[in-house]
Amino acid sequence: MREQVISILSELCPGVDFEHETALIDDGLVDSLDIVSIVSELMDTFEVEISVEDLQPENFNSVDAIVKLIQAAQG
Amino acid sequence: MAFTSLTFVLLVLATVTLYYLLPRRFQWLLLLAASMVFYLSGGGRTVIWLLAVAAVTWGCGLALQRLNDQRKGADKARQNQLKAAKKRVAALGAVLCFGLLYAMKYWNFTLELLPTPVAARLPRWDFLMPLGLSFFTFQAVGYVVDVYRGKAAQNNPVKYLLFVSFFPQMIQGPIGRYDALAPQLLAPKELSWQNLQYGIQLAMWGYFKKLVIADRAAVLVDTVIRDNCPYGGAVIAVGIFFYCVQLYCDFSGGIDIARGVAQMLGITMAENFRRPLFATSLADYWRRWHISLGQWMRDYLFYPLSLSKPFGRLGKWARRHIGGLGGKIFATSLATFIIYLVIGVWHGSSLKYIVYGLWNGTIITSSLLLERRFQSWKDALHIDGGSLGWRIVMTVRTCFLVFLGRYLTRAPRLLTAGSLLVATFTRPVFSQLTDGTLLSLGLTGGDFLLLGLAAAVLVTVEFYQERGGHVRETLARQRPLVQWLAIVVPLLVIVAFGVFRTGYISSAFIYGQF
Amino acid sequence: MQAKKWVILFAATALALVLALAAFNYVTDPFGAFGDPVFQWFSYDETNNPRVAKTSWLEQHHQDYDSYIIGCSSTSSFPTEALNELYDASFYNLIMYDADMLDCEKLTAYLLEHYEVKNIILNVYLDNGMTYDEESNRLTKNLHYLVDPDISALSHYSRYLLADFRYGLAKLQALGEDTLLPQDFDVFDEVTGTYDKRVRDAEPIGSVEEYLTAYPVFADYPQSGPLSLGQTENCMKSVAAIRDMCAAAGVNLTVVAGPVYRDYFDNFDLDAVIAFYDALAQVTPFWDFSCSSVSREMRYFYDATHFRNNVGEMMAARMAGRTDLWIPEDFGAYVTAETAAQHVAQGLEAQALPQAEIEAQAPILMYHNLAEEAAAETDLTAAQFEAQIQALSEAGYTSISFDELMAYVYEGADLPEKPVMITFDDGYSSNYTLAYPILAKYQMKATIFAIGVSLGKDTYKDTGHEMNPHFSGEEAAEMVASGLISVQSHTYDMHQWPPFETGDGPFRETILPLPGESEEDYVAALTADIQKSRQVLEDATGETVDVLAYPSGAYSTLSQWVLEENGIRVTLSTEPGVNTVVRGLPQTLYCMKRFHVDGSVSPADLLGLLTQPTE
Repeated sequence: MREQVISILSELCPGVDFEHETALIDDGLVDSLDIVSIVSELMDTFEVEISVEDLQPENFNSVDAIVKLIQAAQG
Repeated sequence: MAFTSLTFVLLVLATVTLYYLLPRRFQWLLLLAASMVFYLSGGGRTVIWLLAVAAVTWGCGLALQRLNDQRKGADKARQNQLKAAKKRVAALGAVLCFGLLYAMKYWNFTLELLPTPVAARLPRWDFLMPLGLSFFTFQAVGYVVDVYRGKAAQNNPVKYLLFVSFFPQMIQGPIGRYDALAPQLLAPKELSWQNLQYGIQLAMWGYFKKLVIADRAAVLVDTVIRDNCPYGGAVIAVGIFFYCVQLYCDFSGGIDIARGVAQMLGITMAENFRRPLFATSLADYWRRWHISLGQWMRDYLFYPLSLSKPFGRLGKWARRHIGGLGGKIFATSLATFIIYLVIGVWHGSSLKYIVYGLWNGTIITSSLLLERRFQSWKDALHIDGGSLGWRIVMTVRTCFLVFLGRYLTRAPRLLTAGSLLVATFTRPVFSQLTDGTLLSLGLTGGDFLLLGLAAAVLVTVEFYQERGGHVRETLARQRPLVQWLAIVVPLLVIVAFGVFRTGYISSAFIYGQF
Repeated sequence: MQAKKWVILFAATALALVLALAAFNYVTDPFGAFGDPVFQWFSYDETNNPRVAKTSWLEQHHQDYDSYIIGCSSTSSFPTEALNELYDASFYNLIMYDADMLDCEKLTAYLLEHYEVKNIILNVYLDNGMTYDEESNRLTKNLHYLVDPDISALSHYSRYLLADFRYGLAKLQALGEDTLLPQDFDVFDEVTGTYDKRVRDAEPIGSVEEYLTAYPVFADYPQSGPLSLGQTENCMKSVAAIRDMCAAAGVNLTVVAGPVYRDYFDNFDLDAVIAFYDALAQVTPFWDFSCSSVSREMRYFYDATHFRNNVGEMMAARMAGRTDLWIPEDFGAYVTAETAAQHVAQGLEAQALPQAEIEAQAPILMYHNLAEEAAAETDLTAAQFEAQIQALSEAGYTSISFDELMAYVYEGADLPEKPVMITFDDGYSSNYTLAYPILAKYQMKATIFAIGVSLGKDTYKDTGHEMNPHFSGEEAAEMVASGLISVQSHTYDMHQWPPFETGDGPFRETILPLPGESEEDYVAALTADIQKSRQVLEDATGETVDVLAYPSGAYSTLSQWVLEENGIRVTLSTEPGVNTVVRGLPQTLYCMKRFHVDGSVSPADLLGLLTQPTE
């Protein structure tokens, strides 16, 4: 799953080192438009529901956080 | 009560003094009292609208809190039931608040758009616009949505009223988030000399921008930019350029005053500007300009809109039928477009603001769609996207786009904006820049010199900040004499060239009407 | 620096700045808000804010007055002296620009409550129906807090102590530029409270064409109408309040509607105008001067909205029932609730006075020395002079004296159909020996302007150098006694001739100040000279001296004013041209033009000069 997430991210936001970045939003590397694109892609790919309430910086700051969010959504 | 009035300064002086003399548990009540004094001093009747918005949103908050509590541990079916109820409550609050805002700010404009026979049958509402209506309405609705999303509500209506009415933010914002602002308003505060010093310095900086730069530039702007403007395109462009300067200094100056006053009270307010002059794209500009509005729009409009079911379906459809990157971000782009349209309309009730919104939306959306293509062009031309030269090119280009958009917000009406734009590019009459015309626009040579010097100071300071410098910290490390000069000189400049300035009575902020 | 220290330093610095500003404003007091303790320059302060500064002035000087004139700027032309005489009172003029009736009401209440008041004259202007209790500039157009119950002492002191320092700076700067006559920055006469119109009233007036060149506003009168008189009801409520206050205090109230230039009325619906004055009459009877033939004559107005002081004199004369001053018949009447509307309606219909009725052409000839026989430096021989006089006489010209001219302007006396004035400058013996017999022969009147110091002399006083002989006091008396000749002033000794006047002091060729001479010294010197000139001539002839020919025709506004102060009512220049004199306007007698005549002018040329059209 981790690799899948990284490939989605890399496609949507080229040039960012997602492998090691841990403050994607706080550093402003990923902004709101990208977040929505990412979330849409994730929802499609993993067939999960991510709601607006989940759009907190801490859920998107690193690949690991995103993976955790998806796992939680998958229940 | 304008920030620039003596009464405001006295109110702040009295509030800050009492604030640290009172027992800590009464501090927040003092803030509420000061806010009421501030609000009532401007003709008090509109205070009922403030109270109405506060009452509605407080009530919604309580109801949502109760529903949230019931959801815990409830079964799935019950949870869905409760979720629907929450939606109804939140929608009710939003509709009531925005309905009021709409009625006050946009109803008469709507009448103008309707065909005359229909409009004639509908009543005109000529209410006095309550001070800060747009700001406190957005803040209060944001609170309702926050509680809807699970944040804790405020049970005490008086405490909640302080959140809605806190006086420094009433004129020009910023739009505060409940969880960021309210705890600070209510917490007991120990006297911090550091906060006092930094707060005073920030407010002085705001007064400098507002009184010395913005109000002075406004004289020329008001002379040049009007219906039947008799000047050539070059002078018009100077007028719009001055308007850009005026608007930024007036608005960000007002925010600095508000944030400075709050800091004196030990309260950190949301940032509203991050040196928009250095923006590298229009989207970047909107991330740096009126940040609190942008964030509000993002959190409470853009996310819900673009993650909503219809947009999800639209996204899937686009991916299938359009394909490629365009298909992938089609839905997001549409949402972006809508947001900028709304931001445009937020600025005022006039056709020109709709066009202003379309202008921003179109540019930002299309740059989103064309991003890859630009990248390939850049690669083909061997342009280093990170180089200083390229950054300057991007910054200048962005300034130019912002500049063009400002024709729309400043011209008295859409048609005038069009004719001014056409004049700028078709008959510039450059000779008017040198034949003394510029000195006949209400500003003397001394005013131009002063504006130039002040702008140089402004750009220098912002450049220093953009590079990561901290002005007040750096200043605090200087020799005492330098620090004292940094008190005396700004005070003298603000008084001599700001507070007392001929021919123009400085009163309302431009943004106060928005 | 520690933050605490910084904050204290900041507070101290800010406080010091505020105190410095307050101290500066208190000392300079450019609005007279604190009684102008240092400079006592109320004419300046009142220019900045007449409401506040006049209140401060009265605080200090109210014991000098027992009566007050109140109203907006047209009130400035109410003549203090004439009203003092009429009411046997001591008036102070409380003109305030843009005063509305609420200002007047508050001011009246203040006066009645604090000072001993005998008479109030209230001027009601059409604009009072337009504006009432409007927001106005808080420094320049508000009332003194003592007068206005709506302004607290705190507000008053804070606004003036913290006022823009540039007002005070401007006052200090003006202090260095101050002159005896008013300038833009000190337009008020602090003692009477009126506008100080010494400069404007010294300005010569002539034909309508000349006036239009100087005041083009009358050619293209501003029309911004239709304006609304929607505040009429409020205005009249205040008038009624003033009426009731005066009645309660036993103070004599006279309400006057001052003259308005006729074109101004066209900014309004004329029925509303009539209704305005009718509403006033329902409150109180008043003197209605609002519209008459006077309103149609631009030369009776300084500008689009302000009638001249001379018209104010006519008003006072009408109110006093005096007949010694010329007043157009339809000018002014005391109207009541029954008669006001009709009177105003009539006035609005009034036509301009016919030119023939108010103005006359007055050509003046200027001669100098005569000689028996033609010689190199002779101006004119007796024979040439006689031929000219004969031609005038045969062409039907009637020579008149300046007394007759003054009677025409001041009292409205008639002039002969073709008047001409013959004048001689300097007072040469030849005027007596050669000209006088010829004038007597043709029964022509003439005026001789004699230099006082030269009377009866044939040598220069300082050098003893020979000069053309001048007639003596006895000879002057003989000529004056004939009733044909008047001997008037050419100054006592301000027409000196450089080569032969090397006295102790600097010499004066003309009446103008010497280079570098201070205004005070100059005025003192001129005053002394004129008084001496009058004394010498009046002692010799017994005739009043009130006409002066400017040596070499040189004059200034200041000289004109000093001369008026010293009883000179007509002055003559040497510019060529025919004069237009206007009834009711003494300024048409200032700096009058004269044709220089010598032997080179043939009798036919002379007649041609007199009939040439005015420029």
